[in-house]
Amino acid sequence: MTMGKVLYYTLVDLARNRSVLAFAALLFVVAEGLFLVEGEAVKAVLSLVQVVLALVPLVALVFTVVYTYGAQEFTQLLAVQPIGRSAILGGRMLALGLSFLVALLFGLGLPLTVHAPGATSLVLLVAAVLLAWVFLALGTLIALVNRDRARGVGTALAAWAGAVLVYDALLMTLLFAFSDRPVEPFVLPVAALNPIDLARIAVTIQVDLAAMMGYSGAVYKKFLGSGPGIATALAFMLLWVAWPTVLSFRVFRSKDL
Amino acid sequence: MDSITFSGVGKRYRKLWALRDVDAAFRPGEVVMVIGPNGSGKTTFIKCLLGLVRPTSGAIHVNGERIGADPAYRHHIGYMPQISQFPPALTIGQLLDMMRDVRGLSPERTDDGLVEDLGLSAQLGKRLGTLSGGTMQKVSAVLAFRSAPGILVMDEPTAGLDPLSARTVLGRAAAVRERGGTVLITSHLMEEVETLADRVAYLQDGTLRFLLPLREILARTGTDRLSAALPLMLADPR
Repeated sequence: MTMGKVLYYTLVDLARNRSVLAFAALLFVVAEGLFLVEGEAVKAVLSLVQVVLALVPLVALVFTVVYTYGAQEFTQLLAVQPIGRSAILGGRMLALGLSFLVALLFGLGLPLTVHAPGATSLVLLVAAVLLAWVFLALGTLIALVNRDRARGVGTALAAWAGAVLVYDALLMTLLFAFSDRPVEPFVLPVAALNPIDLARIAVTIQVDLAAMMGYSGAVYKKFLGSGPGIATALAFMLLWVAWPTVLSFRVFRSKDL
Repeated sequence: MDSITFSGVGKRYRKLWALRDVDAAFRPGEVVMVIGPNGSGKTTFIKCLLGLVRPTSGAIHVNGERIGADPAYRHHIGYMPQISQFPPALTIGQLLDMMRDVRGLSPERTDDGLVEDLGLSAQLGKRLGTLSGGTMQKVSAVLAFRSAPGILVMDEPTAGLDPLSARTVLGRAAAVRERGGTVLITSHLMEEVETLADRVAYLQDGTLRFLLPLREILARTGTDRLSAALPLMLADPR
């Protein structure tokens, strides 16, 4: 009841904010542009995968962190009303999650449905939405834990860089160091430590393109098969939505505002 | 029955105790002025009562119920913060509608007399992001009074207000007392305290030094002004 009200008014605020709208428009233009430039739809989709894997986490993370800090006074105003802490945080996270969903359906789903309808597009869209939610949850947690805004934004950027750059380097080093042993079983859980990699694995298994699948993707496919491999990767992503969300609620419930 | 009781309430921020073992009880139909130097714990004291800050130790009861995770007790509390920030894209009117909705108040039970009294009627269409500090304080005051709360909490309510508006707001606070409400106000202005206070609470370094009727403080120190009485009280609070 009260959570519904927080959800509603946060959505109204987000609609006025226009940043999410701008993100949807950007995705839409990029997607349409790629389909226009690339002769084959498949090639365009593959390029789009790269764009989504880089852009969606960064935008979701930075926007969530900045929005959460910006809403601090409003949060205080709500918190002195007869509204529980969980309703405040739940309403806000749902509102952000819904607007990300709508932005991706419009900016990514629409071009994909028009130019390349099919299973690959569906998996890409689902992975993109899950990625946005993962980084919404992580961004919320980061903003709640760090009182200082600059430190929060810094931590968020570091987390993103870690998932995009450091993690790959680390994985390669590990594989290289243990190249004389059977490391494949360890790749399954290690790949699950990076939500962006999980999204990449799910999509590339579906596309069935060995060149893009990478080592971890190939292992997922070899051990689990195509369908279960995709399902496992997406399920791990759900876990990545869940744990920061649960932690965020726990932190927010006893946080001094 | 007391409307608010603090029993052994303490609050620690990391290593610093902002509030230490505070015992206090507040009754219906009184105005209590909470005074003390900067950083003495006044705002923390208020924030504990509002549930913005969770006490490290002790318990707070409002109308006999211990406050905790259940937010229902805040139906009885109107709060005017020291500094207000509102969503900048909303207009004053939209904010008022939204807060009424969030509080679950019906339009008939909402007392927006202050909108008129503070001269906000013509400004309802203005966006909150464009308002001056004083006008924000007026909006804050409207929000605090409109649910006709049994408990009114104000943190430096007159700080950003022009003298006339300040008088209007304090007059309203006095009216809350007349109809049996409990009013807690923090203030730096001694004249303000003297005209309104039934009792005075003095906080220092997070400790409640005394909570006494204004009349008793003046009688005990043999002075007629609080500003003169305070140093004597602090030298010998007993």
